[in-house]
Amino acid sequence: MIHLGTIPIRNEISVREARNKVRSVAELMTYSEVEATRLATASSEGARMCLLGCVEPRLSLQCEIRGEDASLILDFVDSESPPDIHRLAGFFDRVETAAPAPDGQTVRAYAPPVACGSLPSSVLEELRTVIEKKGREELLVEIRSKNAELQDSLDNLRRTRSAKERMESELNIGREIQMSMLPLRFPAFPDRTDFDVHAALYPAREVGGDFYDLFLIDDDHFCFCVGDVSGKGVPAALFMAVTKTLIKSRAANDLSPASILSHVNTELSQRNESCMFVTVFLGILDLRTGKLTYGNAGHNPPFLKRSTGDLVRLDQRHGPVIGAAGDLAYSQDQLTMQPGDLVFLYTDGVTEAMDPSQTLYSEKRLHDLLAVQELSTVEHAVQVGVDDVWKFQGKAEQADDVTVLSVVFAGRPETDEPDRLELKISNRLEEIERVSQFVNAFSERHGLDDGTRRKLNLVFDELLNNTISYAYEDDGQHEIEMTMSISQDRLYVAITDDGIPFNPFDNRAPDTRLSIEDRPIGGLGIHLVRNVMDRVSYERRGSFNVVHLEKQLNTSKE
Amino acid sequence: MQLSSEARENTTLVRLEGNLDTNTSGEAHEYLNEAIDGGVRKMVVNLENVDFVSSAGLRILLATAKRLSGEGGSLRICGLNETVSEVFEISGFSTILNVFHSEGDALEGF
Repeated sequence: MIHLGTIPIRNEISVREARNKVRSVAELMTYSEVEATRLATASSEGARMCLLGCVEPRLSLQCEIRGEDASLILDFVDSESPPDIHRLAGFFDRVETAAPAPDGQTVRAYAPPVACGSLPSSVLEELRTVIEKKGREELLVEIRSKNAELQDSLDNLRRTRSAKERMESELNIGREIQMSMLPLRFPAFPDRTDFDVHAALYPAREVGGDFYDLFLIDDDHFCFCVGDVSGKGVPAALFMAVTKTLIKSRAANDLSPASILSHVNTELSQRNESCMFVTVFLGILDLRTGKLTYGNAGHNPPFLKRSTGDLVRLDQRHGPVIGAAGDLAYSQDQLTMQPGDLVFLYTDGVTEAMDPSQTLYSEKRLHDLLAVQELSTVEHAVQVGVDDVWKFQGKAEQADDVTVLSVVFAGRPETDEPDRLELKISNRLEEIERVSQFVNAFSERHGLDDGTRRKLNLVFDELLNNTISYAYEDDGQHEIEMTMSISQDRLYVAITDDGIPFNPFDNRAPDTRLSIEDRPIGGLGIHLVRNVMDRVSYERRGSFNVVHLEKQLNTSKE
Repeated sequence: MQLSSEARENTTLVRLEGNLDTNTSGEAHEYLNEAIDGGVRKMVVNLENVDFVSSAGLRILLATAKRLSGEGGSLRICGLNETVSEVFEISGFSTILNVFHSEGDALEGF
């Protein structure tokens, strides 16, 4: 018995395939067309009966050669539902239950022999090929299943890609938040000549949570900081936004970096479930004196480039990173910047930039660069730093944000230009109220004591009352200008009006010794002014009356 | 300027708050005059919450004292801060007006 091949019976399609194959085999074996069709029908009947079970049956084809005759033998192998012998019997010469195969019961059907002469091996090969060949339907099924697989993997790919896109878009949103928080316009303080600042932040494609800030706390104090938040994406950007906001709002009433950092740390370490943290270098520059107070919370040590060319590394550490552990007291240091001195702040994106051979840029390289380079302006300093990083990095990808910030102290001109306040009012009595507010604000700002403040109020009340009530011959609107200034602990006041020439100090002092009944009402004002101020004078300057007042300030308590 | 008053036995206590200056003295004067019109003869003016008194303020205090004295009454003033005291000294008002240190002092034996 020669084994020709096996056809798995999976479904209706493979039943039809089996039918076609049996027909082809039978025809090749020279069975008549009618006989071949009959055998084909019989095998599909048998195969279909096998389908009832759930284990995959098969149809095995053999042929037996006896002399000039050959017969086709079909084995239906099924572990669960072998075909009914009686139903197949009509189609075949003989149907029997054969010895069970290892994996199932076998029903063997013998087709009638056909006189085909000897079957050359080429024909046997052909028979085997026919059985093995995949039919069109089988192929279609296979293609469909391959297609489904392909579709699955395509869907998978899409899902992966959209997840990646989502992540990237989250990174982009984080990036947008980050960049929108930064002061990007330079010069940032175009009307200031006593200092200048420049900064640049180049975001990396993925990692990075750098930020910087720069703002005037008041006319005399400039605050700047550089930081690096751990993590990336939206959470890091939000953490950064909170950090930046906390620093700024705290600095409004707090000129101590140590205190600001301690406060911000306490705030951030509460409810910090994501365990994010941020490194910060924070400096506050007193623009009157050049005194720089600074605190470093786990950040890269900045450099101070003296106008003499010396380079100083600000290597003091004032506490750990912000947000990691609560209730810490940060410390601070102070140095004095001379006019022309420049500080250079950066993030680890600079020192940890890598060239294509994975070598780190290093702090030493930055140090050497800043030591030899002449840094003419803050903009130039930033450019020099950034350019060198790009040059070093070459074609390597930028791995982290690169941030550089530079501040130069220019100092204020060495003149006795005092702190001045100017105010103009119109000639209406109600305007004196406004003057009073200004006097109070001026006093507050310069730390004048209550006595001096009240006396200033009194003096303006008296003199302005005089001027507004008596200096104008018409009913038109006039302007009265006041200036107040302090120079070397002496307060100078000038009041200028365009009224009729009038020297208030010409009036003789009223006789205060007269009894209550004998005294005229009013007329005391000038007397009070003379007495509460140290010096009073009057001049007629062109068409203006100018009254000058002076008072020594009591600052000994400081 | 905030003005308030309360009757204490045969005395009326007037409290002023703000600056007693060019712009507020008119209002304060009116207030004090109304009190006198209403029959008040013994009046204590508390300046505890007055930041400064200019000559315009002095003027109405003087006028009030004059009017009360003309009506057979009298005015006592108390609660002067350091600057107001100085102004009273400079102007001589500390000698022509009855100035007391505290409200209690002013009310006592009035």
